[in-house]
Amino acid sequence: MAQTRRFELAMPPHVGASQTTRKIMFDVVIALLPALAAATWFFGPRALLIVFLSAATAVVAEYLCLKFMKRPVSFALDGSAIVTGMLLAFNLPSGVPFWLPVIGTAFAIVVGKQAFGGLGHNIVNPALLGRAFLMASFPILMTAGWIAPESWKTGTEGAWETNGIVLEEMSTIPEADAISGATPLNVLKQTFDLDASAANAQLEGNTSEAEGLEERAVSIRSALSSNSTYMNLLIGRTGGCLGETSVILLLVGAIYLVMRGVLELRLPISYLLTVAFFAWVFGGSGWFNGDPLFHVLAGGVVLGGIFMVSDMVTTPVTPKGRIIFGIGAGLLTMVIRRWGGYPEGCSYSILLMNLVTPLIDKFTLPKVFGEVKKNG
Amino acid sequence: MAKARTFKGGIHPPGNKNLSSGQSIRTLPAPETVWVPLCQHMGAPSKPLVLKGDKVVRGQEIGAQNGFISLPTHSPVNGTVKSVEDFPMPHRRTGPVVVIETESEDGGQVFEKWDDYSSHSPAEITERVKLAGICGMGGASFPTYVKLSPPPDKNIDTLIINGIECEPYLTADHRLMLENPDDIILGMEILAYTLGVEKCLIGIEVNKPDAIKIMEEKGCSVLPLKVSYPQGAEKQLIDAATGREVPVGGLPLDVGVVVQNVGTAAAVAVAVRDGEPSLRRIITVTGRGVVSPANYDACVGTLFSDLIGKSGGYTEDVKRLISGGPMMGISLYTDGVPVTKGTSGVLALIGDEVRDVVESPCIRCGKCVDVCPLRLTPNLIAMAAENERWKLAGEFGAMNCMACGTCSYVCPAGRYLVHYIKKAQDAIRAGKEA
Repeated sequence: MAQTRRFELAMPPHVGASQTTRKIMFDVVIALLPALAAATWFFGPRALLIVFLSAATAVVAEYLCLKFMKRPVSFALDGSAIVTGMLLAFNLPSGVPFWLPVIGTAFAIVVGKQAFGGLGHNIVNPALLGRAFLMASFPILMTAGWIAPESWKTGTEGAWETNGIVLEEMSTIPEADAISGATPLNVLKQTFDLDASAANAQLEGNTSEAEGLEERAVSIRSALSSNSTYMNLLIGRTGGCLGETSVILLLVGAIYLVMRGVLELRLPISYLLTVAFFAWVFGGSGWFNGDPLFHVLAGGVVLGGIFMVSDMVTTPVTPKGRIIFGIGAGLLTMVIRRWGGYPEGCSYSILLMNLVTPLIDKFTLPKVFGEVKKNG
Repeated sequence: MAKARTFKGGIHPPGNKNLSSGQSIRTLPAPETVWVPLCQHMGAPSKPLVLKGDKVVRGQEIGAQNGFISLPTHSPVNGTVKSVEDFPMPHRRTGPVVVIETESEDGGQVFEKWDDYSSHSPAEITERVKLAGICGMGGASFPTYVKLSPPPDKNIDTLIINGIECEPYLTADHRLMLENPDDIILGMEILAYTLGVEKCLIGIEVNKPDAIKIMEEKGCSVLPLKVSYPQGAEKQLIDAATGREVPVGGLPLDVGVVVQNVGTAAAVAVAVRDGEPSLRRIITVTGRGVVSPANYDACVGTLFSDLIGKSGGYTEDVKRLISGGPMMGISLYTDGVPVTKGTSGVLALIGDEVRDVVESPCIRCGKCVDVCPLRLTPNLIAMAAENERWKLAGEFGAMNCMACGTCSYVCPAGRYLVHYIKKAQDAIRAGKEA
């Protein structure tokens, strides 16, 4: 007859993959470390400190929110807050004062994530929302403080070049004891301004001035499209946000994520290909003469493509939807870069696409097995 | 061997089949007492035909068919009825059983033996399959005779015998193919004759090369399939075999296909050739929670506890007891439940074998969408169901879910996706709207 032994009851399936949310999040943290090492090398130990402050603030803010909302506080250590903190720091100039990442991260976690219900429920990428908040609130701090690569090692001594062009407005950043260097996208934006001035001068009949301006724009652009610039962009020896400069080490992180089954490739690939395509179409001085390689390597598109376009929570879940998201974000990035008020459009393009994610999901639901398809 | 085919989506859980795949089928004599469920098949339970104190003989009908989707039930032993009562079941909470005290287990031939099935009409064979109480032995227990009675407007051109056994751990079908291929082949021929089809395939996953070899040597047309869960799901098998998609809400009949499990085919052979109703089946008893995993040929009504006893009992750290495979099987609080015609396995799993994650919020990673063999969006259906928005869940396709568990398997947040979707299905069937 029936024995007295009783077994635990559970819902099927009784077996499952070993991957967990926590493992995914810490895989992302690990994937960010190579780029963090590059940031520390090029922009000094303060880069490391900014990232640490940011991540620590994220965990503390998350813990306090969970405590306040009487939710299990163990979620604060699931790794998602650390990822948000690190990504926000990666999107800051490395010369910012130390209180800036603290404020930005607190905003990202409290308003960007927990106010919407915490992990899985936020509508936009919290790190990018935090960055947008800082851009709106502290525009000057957020657009200065680009430390010239490796200048922290020699202090403010010596002249610094970025990508073969000595910039006139180069100045020192006293807090970092380093020299500011323009970002490659800033330099590109200047060439568009030079183009516009040249056109004006032409209209005023000042032909020689127009030619001079045009010549300068062309020479800067050719410097930007040189092999030495590509190499600098690839290894990260350039001005820019803390974590975005070293393309090669970001790719190392991406390979790790793919190997761990964390990175879904539809999003980053469709995004980066779209950026490259529209860079060629309108990323240069006219039509169909842009430099796709420069546009992909410069600025934040590789960082954004790997770590933010592919953020799971705020992007579509359907296979088609992911491709649409990548294309949309890529197009917006290039539109902002070419015609927008900012030299870089990566983060705003992703934020805008985040907002339409539910719509994309809704209109790209896969055809259910056996639906419509005719048999014969 | 032809190139192995497969379907889109799916997962590769560890098979763990080597625990029991090398064990030959051991035929167990009927226990002293059998608890014969009257609800072994899908549909209405049989109506009891016996009372306490009645003498019954092996093969005697003790429960009458009760409707179209229903079957008769037969006594697996000679003996005396002790009672007719409600009893815990492996696939539902409780159900009616006939408790019989076993005296002997000989006889059992209650129908005429048909040595040459082709001298009987398909209708006669279908009737025999019904009277023998045969239901699908792959797990769903759907009455087999219903599948053999397609509406006249459906043109059936393909019969697929399902030897895939894609559930991890289970090896009952595998052993049956190795040890009794002749019954399977005879059953397959009878089924093909009954349905009037020329094309007849047996689908086997390539992780069972010995079974593929035997079946090919016997002249069967084998359809090799890639190892992927749920390869053995009817719709996925038909897709892999014929490229036809069973329409939403439709049946395999709608695409001209009938699928039968290997165990069902063998049961058909026994019923036609030997005149015996469905009284026994092959069961895998396995998992690291049992001392010696094995494959048994046991009569229905044998308690799980008896099977575990034959396998040397539980190991010390046994944690979960499951009827069926680990993907779709049902966990039981007690081993005092009887074997039914649909019991393919009894799993005793230890803590290391089961997944133990605390459920956390969906992070929209989309893995469930990528693997769903029916191309659903399990996370969205589950979220709708969690918020009791049944109508929305229905719009996402909740009713198409077959509960294979592939989505829950991959979910990093450990969400009970299948559970939520089933909840939505129940609510939608009950006509709830929100």
